[in-house]
Amino acid sequence: MREALRDAMAEEMRRDEAVFVMGEDVGVFQGAYKVTEGLLDEFGERRVRDTPISENTIVGTGIGAAMAGLRPIVELMTVNFSLLALDQIVNHAAAIPYMFNGQARVPMVIRMPGGGGHQLGPTHSHSFEALYLQVPGLLVACPSTPADGKALLKTAIRDDNPVVFIEHESLYGVRGEVSEDADETLTFGEAAVRREGGDVTIVGVLKMALVADRAATQLSHEHGVEAEVIDPRTLRPLDLDTILESVRKTNRAVIVEEGWPHGGVGANLSTLITEQAFDHLDAPVQRVTGADVHMPYSKRLEQAAIPHEEHVVKAALAALEGAI
Amino acid sequence: MADVVMPRLSDSMEEGTILRWLKGVGDAVAVGEELVEIETDKANMAYESDLSGTLTEILAEEGETLPIGAPIARVGDGQGAGGSAAGPLVGDRGAPRAPSPSPPPSPTPVAEEAGKSRSGSEVGGRLRASPVARRVAEGREVDLAQIRGSGPGGRIVKADVEKAVAPGAPASASAQPAGAPGSPETAKGQTVYRELSKLQATVARRMAESKATAPHFYLEAAIEMSRALEARGRIKAAAPDAEMVPSFNDMVVKACALALREYPRANGAYRDGRFELYSRVNVGVAVAGQDALVVPTIFDADRKGLGQIAAESRALAQRVREGLITPPELSGATFTVSNLGMYGIERFSAVINPPQAAILAVGAIGERPVIRDGEIAAAHLMQVTLACDHRILYGADGAQFLARIRSLLEEPLSLAL
Repeated sequence: MREALRDAMAEEMRRDEAVFVMGEDVGVFQGAYKVTEGLLDEFGERRVRDTPISENTIVGTGIGAAMAGLRPIVELMTVNFSLLALDQIVNHAAAIPYMFNGQARVPMVIRMPGGGGHQLGPTHSHSFEALYLQVPGLLVACPSTPADGKALLKTAIRDDNPVVFIEHESLYGVRGEVSEDADETLTFGEAAVRREGGDVTIVGVLKMALVADRAATQLSHEHGVEAEVIDPRTLRPLDLDTILESVRKTNRAVIVEEGWPHGGVGANLSTLITEQAFDHLDAPVQRVTGADVHMPYSKRLEQAAIPHEEHVVKAALAALEGAI
Repeated sequence: MADVVMPRLSDSMEEGTILRWLKGVGDAVAVGEELVEIETDKANMAYESDLSGTLTEILAEEGETLPIGAPIARVGDGQGAGGSAAGPLVGDRGAPRAPSPSPPPSPTPVAEEAGKSRSGSEVGGRLRASPVARRVAEGREVDLAQIRGSGPGGRIVKADVEKAVAPGAPASASAQPAGAPGSPETAKGQTVYRELSKLQATVARRMAESKATAPHFYLEAAIEMSRALEARGRIKAAAPDAEMVPSFNDMVVKACALALREYPRANGAYRDGRFELYSRVNVGVAVAGQDALVVPTIFDADRKGLGQIAAESRALAQRVREGLITPPELSGATFTVSNLGMYGIERFSAVINPPQAAILAVGAIGERPVIRDGEIAAAHLMQVTLACDHRILYGADGAQFLARIRSLLEEPLSLAL
C-alpha cells in the first residue's frame, strides 16, 4: 500500500507540473510512515516541501496554492492532527468553491492516516471518516487495498474538488497487485463487491472492509451463511446503489467501521438503507463499530475497543435470527 | 429486564396457549401474583409470576400457542424503558451521554450489543413482522396473524412467511373457516371441521403414541364378585356416610394398588431403553368429561383405606365434570383403571396410558352360570382385561399380577389389610 500510494503521487507529479507535496517530514525524513519515500530525490525541494508543525497553516497554504492553479497534496501526519486544521478544511477548502460559485476551485488532496491498533492512546488513534463525511464539498476516500489506494489517489489528485484521503496506518504494509498503467484511475463512487452472497450484506469501511471479508469467510465455513461483502471505497460520493441492490437481494445489512458509533458512517448508512430499502429489510440494520470510548492505551483494552471478525459474525447472525 | 417464559405446568405439557393476560403492560407484578391464564394439555391454569417488577412487554398475544420455554413477556426492574433519567434511549445503545461523573460505559465494541437488539418499539397489540415479511405476505395474500415469528422477540421474518406458503405447509391462508357456508357437498354431505381442544389433542397424540410404540398384549380373567357384593352390602349398612361407601370400582382400585406393590414392574414404565420403577403406587381412574378423557389420580392408593379411596374418587370425578380439575391432580399415575361396566359393557380392551406398564379394563358385573363342584350354580362375574406393555411387563408376570388382583377381589376382606 505504501508503495502504491507513493507511485500514485510520483506518476501524477511526472504527468503534471502543478502537482506537489507538502507536509511535516515528507521530504528529508520521507514521511512519518515512509509514504513519500524517494519523492524529494526525484522532484526536489520545490515540489516536495517540508513544513513546520502547523497543520492549520499547512492546509491553508495548500488551499491558497490550489486556488492559484496548483494541485497540492497535503500530508497531515495523522488524522488526529487534522483537527488542528479543521477550520481550514471545513470553512475554507470545502466552502470556497460554493462561496465563489465555482469561480475559485480547490483541487487539493489532504492525505491523513488514522485508525487504532498500535497502542498510541486516545489522541493518536482516531477514525474520522464520519467527521469528514459530514462536510458538504469534501470528497472522502478510504481505500483498503493497494490497487484502490493507487487508483483512488490518482483520481483524487486529478479532481478539482478538495479530497480528504483517509489511509489506515495498519494497511501500509498490505500487499496486493497494483496496475503499472500510469493512467489507470478509479472513479469515485464505485463500490467494490469483494465477495458475493445471498444471505446478508456486509459493508466494511477502510480496514474494516478486510475484517468484513474475513468474517464472511468464517460465516461461510462455520455457519453456512453466504455474506456479500461490499467495500464502498469512497464515502462521498457513496455508491449507495450497489449497497441497496445487495440489500434488496439479502434483506439484511451489517455495517462495519472502526469509528465511534454515534453519528457514524454506519448510523448514516443504516438510515439511508432504511429510508430507501425499508420494504426489503428482514431485520434491523446491524452496526459494528469501535467502542464508544476514548481509545485505551492498554493493548487488551485497545483490542477490545476495535471491531474484529467475531463481532461481525455475531452481528450477521443476529440479523439472520429466525432465517437460518 | 427478564423474560417470562411459557411454564411447564404438567408432566406431559409441551406447549401452552395464552388464554388471558391478567396484567397489562406497565402494571406492577409481584412474585406469586397471577399473571396470565394458560391452557395446557390438561387444564386451564392461572400462572403466578416468579418475578417481580413491571410488566414491560407482552410477547405472546391471547390465543397464541407457544412451546415450553418460549418467552411470553418481559418484566423490567420497575425503572421502565421509557422514562430513565439518562435521557432518551436509542435502540439498545443509548444516546450520546452528556459528560457526567459516572464511570464511562464499558469499552465494548457495539457488536457485543448487536446480538441483543430487538424491536423495542413494537409492543402491545402490534404484530411484529419485518418490513420484507410484510411485503412478501401481502404479495402472496398470507395472513401474518396466522404465522408464528421465529425472529428476535417473536418477530415474523421473511423465512417464516416463505415457510407458510411453501407447498406442504399447514395452509393458513387458504384454510376454510369451520363449517363455512358453501363448503362443497360430498357423498358424506357437508363437513364441519372442528379444532381439537388441547385435551382432545393430547388424548389423540398420547393414544396414537401408545399404540404405535408400546407392544400391547391382553390378559383376560373373570372375577367372582359374589363376596365383594356381599361385603359392599354390609359396608353400606354399616357406613355412617354414603360418601364413604366404596363402589366396585373403588374396590378394584384398591386391589390393583395392593397387587402393584407386590409387582414392581407393573408399577413402572419402559422409557428411553430402561425400566423406571416407582416407589409410590398412584392409580389413575379414567373418567369421561370435558368432551374428552381425563384420568385423575388417587395417590398412594395402596396405603389408603377403601373409604378414603371412595371419597377421593367421587370428589375427583366431580371436579372433572365441573372442569375444575388441575394438572397436579391429573398427573403422577403409575397405573390406570378404566371401567365401562356402568354402560353394560361385558368386557373390552383398553389402550395403555403411556408410559405406564399396564391398564386394567373393567366390565360389568353380571350373574352367570358357573360350574361349582360339578353343579351349575349362579355367580356374579366381572370380566377384566389387563393390557400390558410387553417391553416391561411380560406374559407370566402380567398373569401373576392379574391373578393377584383376582384373588384380592374374590376375598374382599384382604382389601382391608
